[in-house]
Amino acid sequence: MTKAIMKICVAAALALGSLLAQGQMGASGRSIAKPAAVEYLFPEQVTVPAGKASSVALHFRIAPGLHINSHTPSDEFFIPTVFSIPEGAGVRLEGANYPAGTDVTLPIDPKTRLSVYTGDFEIQARIVAVPGNHMVEAKLRFQACDKNACMPPKTITVPIDVIGK
Amino acid sequence: MKRNTLVLTAVLFILALFAWAGWANWEYRKQAAERLLASTAQGELVASPAGGAPQYISPLKGKAAPAFALEDLNGKKVSLASYKGKAVLINFWATWCAPCKIETPWLIELRNKYAAQGFEVLAISTEGDDLQKDDKAGWARDKAAVAKFVQQSKVPYPVLMDGDSISRPYGGLDQLPTSFFVDRKGTVVAAQLGLTSADEIEANIKKALGN
Repeated sequence: MTKAIMKICVAAALALGSLLAQGQMGASGRSIAKPAAVEYLFPEQVTVPAGKASSVALHFRIAPGLHINSHTPSDEFFIPTVFSIPEGAGVRLEGANYPAGTDVTLPIDPKTRLSVYTGDFEIQARIVAVPGNHMVEAKLRFQACDKNACMPPKTITVPIDVIGK
Repeated sequence: MKRNTLVLTAVLFILALFAWAGWANWEYRKQAAERLLASTAQGELVASPAGGAPQYISPLKGKAAPAFALEDLNGKKVSLASYKGKAVLINFWATWCAPCKIETPWLIELRNKYAAQGFEVLAISTEGDDLQKDDKAGWARDKAAVAKFVQQSKVPYPVLMDGDSISRPYGGLDQLPTSFFVDRKGTVVAAQLGLTSADEIEANIKKALGN
């Protein structure tokens, strides 16, 4: 009986140690969360014919007051918006059609023209899936600005459940 | 009876242990978040009393500018301390930042106008948080882009690399351009976040020069 109580105490201590370790990692390993400049909207799940290229429309939303460079920015130094799928996901990205950017200028410098996306936008991705269910963590890389300042480039995860049939 | 008491005591002890762990965990996280906030010394945008564009209020204002020594495009270490006695505009920027590109000709003109009075611009390239430290090819591409931009724009002042490594003491640099105006004694007298105007930059340069 005393042994049973000892076992309970040891198990509790181990669980406690694990909890504390998680807490410390959380405190040191994470930064303070900030609202995302770009949010992936949908689809969460798509079913495509296995082994054949299929077009999937991916919908994104840019936070109000911000813009991101289009896929073809107006300046060689600017960072284009690019969608990608990591290798080994069971799904290959054959290509992507991006919307044309909207030409805008900043109020303080009407000479500088920017090609950007604002509000909601859609990327048509052509994917080829092997048979099966694949939880794909695709990526969208972009760089966002408002009319006065820019935020560092970001890569967000685009989670899509792809079913190849 | 004795057995029940023992089990109950053990259960109560375990519950107390979990409660303590939860509290200790929460306290640790709270302190870590406070330490992080304090170390980033983030500024904030506040409404202008004159009703114009919002003003950037930096907690560094009135304090010594955080020291740094960064490499320039030739690999030479350049420290802020070596500019003591001069007024310095520390300009955090990036090649991919359109507002930074717009203000660069203003900075060049103002630097040339006030250089004789003991003024210098230190432009610090800030890649952002996308590149990993061990991505040598990525950093080489970044350096090549900076060098190309500097050459195309004919930038006459020192351009230093890896602003990300000193971003924390300068407030996290969540947005670019961000500028700090440092007087001859090394004290931050003004700060600007985002694109303002050549006039506003010039007014802050005069402040830093003590004019």
